[in-house]
Amino acid sequence: MSLAAGPGRGHVAVGQLPEELKLVVDKHVAYIQSLDTRKDELEYHLTEHLRIGGIYWGLTALHLLGHPDALPREGLIDYVLSCLCESGGFGAAPGHDAHILYTGYSVQILTMIDGFGALEERLPDCKQKIARFVASHQQPDGTFAGDEWGEIDTRFLFSALYTLSLLGYLPHQRPSEPPLINLPAATAYIKACQNFDGAFGVSPGAESHSGQVFTCVGALYIAGELDSYLGEEGKDRLGAWLSERQLPSGGLNGRPEKLVDVCYSWWVMSSMAMIGRLHWIDKAKLTAFILQCQDPDEGGMADRPGDMVDVFHTVFGVAGLSLLGYPGLVEVDPAYCMPRHITAQISK
Amino acid sequence: MASHGIPRVSGASLDKSEQAKQKERKQIDQYKALESEVTDRIKARDYSNATFQATSKLLSQNPEYYTIWNHRRRLLQDVFARELATGPSGPLIDETDAAAAQKAGLTLAQHEIALLVKEDLLFLIPLLKQYPKCYWIWNHRSWLLSTATQHLPVHNSSELWQGELGLVTKMLSLDSRNFHGWGYRRQVVKEIEQLNGSSMAESEFTYTTKMVETNLSNFSAWHNRSQLIPRILSDRQASSKQRQTFFDSEFELITRALYTDPYDQSLWFYHQYLMATLDASNDQALPILDPCTNTGRVDYLEREIDSIKEMLEGAEDCKYIYQALLEYSSRYIEVEAGNKKVSTVELREWLDELRKLDPLRAGRWRDWQEQLKL
Ligand SMILES: [Zn+2]
Repeated sequence: MSLAAGPGRGHVAVGQLPEELKLVVDKHVAYIQSLDTRKDELEYHLTEHLRIGGIYWGLTALHLLGHPDALPREGLIDYVLSCLCESGGFGAAPGHDAHILYTGYSVQILTMIDGFGALEERLPDCKQKIARFVASHQQPDGTFAGDEWGEIDTRFLFSALYTLSLLGYLPHQRPSEPPLINLPAATAYIKACQNFDGAFGVSPGAESHSGQVFTCVGALYIAGELDSYLGEEGKDRLGAWLSERQLPSGGLNGRPEKLVDVCYSWWVMSSMAMIGRLHWIDKAKLTAFILQCQDPDEGGMADRPGDMVDVFHTVFGVAGLSLLGYPGLVEVDPAYCMPRHITAQISK
Repeated sequence: MASHGIPRVSGASLDKSEQAKQKERKQIDQYKALESEVTDRIKARDYSNATFQATSKLLSQNPEYYTIWNHRRRLLQDVFARELATGPSGPLIDETDAAAAQKAGLTLAQHEIALLVKEDLLFLIPLLKQYPKCYWIWNHRSWLLSTATQHLPVHNSSELWQGELGLVTKMLSLDSRNFHGWGYRRQVVKEIEQLNGSSMAESEFTYTTKMVETNLSNFSAWHNRSQLIPRILSDRQASSKQRQTFFDSEFELITRALYTDPYDQSLWFYHQYLMATLDASNDQALPILDPCTNTGRVDYLEREIDSIKEMLEGAEDCKYIYQALLEYSSRYIEVEAGNKKVSTVELREWLDELRKLDPLRAGRWRDWQEQLKL
């Protein structure tokens, strides 16, 4: 069971969008279900390194759309387990090397389908082994490498923290055990990535970027330090930068003078939600923008209206609509990009 | 996968002919065969030149395949280790190589490592051009260079990093806001500085001047400039007076730019940065003035509020001006309790304009109104 990340087959040109915009739930469900039947396309094979990500994106979208069982659970479990490496980490597909990002996606999938029991049969004490794999990537300065080759990125730090929290292995979740990671060092690194504009970059000194804002805000949120670190003044400053990302089309961009995009819209608005400033942008216009990015005939969402759809933009579009309170959708957790009723069960 | 900016095409044109389908099947078979070849060879620990060439072929088709980059590095690590273990008395020494190594002041192993690294750096160039946003290519490049730095004398690794500075300068001249490009530039500069033991802050600062002069709206360049300022002032051991002169000249530069285009967000961000250096509560902007006194703050706030008010003429519909006026005025009121410069009436007027011009952010303006008690 695996989801290709390939394009949709929609055929609506820009300008032909229906007057009344509605979320085409059934079509999105059918689109996500169809992604595993693309093996006759070269693109399917060229994007194998995105398989586990594709499953996480597709499954999350289905959960938020209210169809959590639209993909066969057994197939999902088998596939995720086939990506497990000896180290306790997961690769992007069977035979691919373990990486902290794909380990994160695998843990998110297993959490959503309640699959740790099945994993336990294959790998006794599985949660602790995965947690140790993640923790082993922390560097002396607090940050995390993505894999054994040592690339550093705040995305990996965020991934490490949410993975450990889903597994119940953050220091404050196990106060009686020696901590697996140095959490204060991790958050100190995040704080060093903040710029004068209140936003965050990929490393200390790097330009502010909304993808990195999301990972840094998410990391501080999961570490329980977001409110105390930013304070109201810090939230105002960051919120101002984030709110300036909305352009007249209603969509949001990733940095000043860039194009709007559904994926950036999610990273910006989820960060705004975490700091309590989501009311600083026009929610109705953003909702309309996301709906315009749908393929109303074949399902799926694109980066911008009229473009090719893919499962990556589909989940961020649906999650965005959920955060905006679109009727009928399951509530999303802005930090984990997973259903709120599932993350609510994480031990605090 | 995460496709960006690719137009959706009609269903009819996606129905492939039997011929096209057959061609695609053949492509898939070839790709899968190549993939198996690489994977099988690596499994058998066959770290030969043939395996290396096979990874090159596969990565040229699919540079996102990170595991293959890992295999390539495993193979190179093995070759380097063998070179280093053989030492100068190895059995198969090519005489020309030995002479070249000696001439360059390298051991034979170092000479071989340098050659392999340079060759691999060249292999990446066309890939970077075709896929400038692919993380894994940049990654591999960094790995090659740090491995070379580990094994080669300072002079040689410094030369390699200098080459990178040339490359990234070329890339930024083609796409001046490439995120990886700017990040890589900072990394390269840091490495050269460490190797040579001298600061490059001045020349990098000059580079940002050149970049913003070419394109005022390049926020990446303005950002880098803001990062370099504390360093050049410290390198120059600037006096209070020199710091003030410097601060004034930055204001002059940005004010001129703002007069050219007050609707450009990037420019306002840089102006905000300069103003943030006066703001004691902003830990992310180190003060430029030293000492940064309350009188100094008040003087600059007054001057900038006046100067921005003048910008309104002919640009009455520019929301950034009202935003700046409100923001700097509220800070002014905080530091200058006497508050001679701005009146509540004015603040209200500006906020009303802002509401009219920028209804998207109505919620923010509402919160601001409450905060300013207007
Ligand atoms: Zn996107």
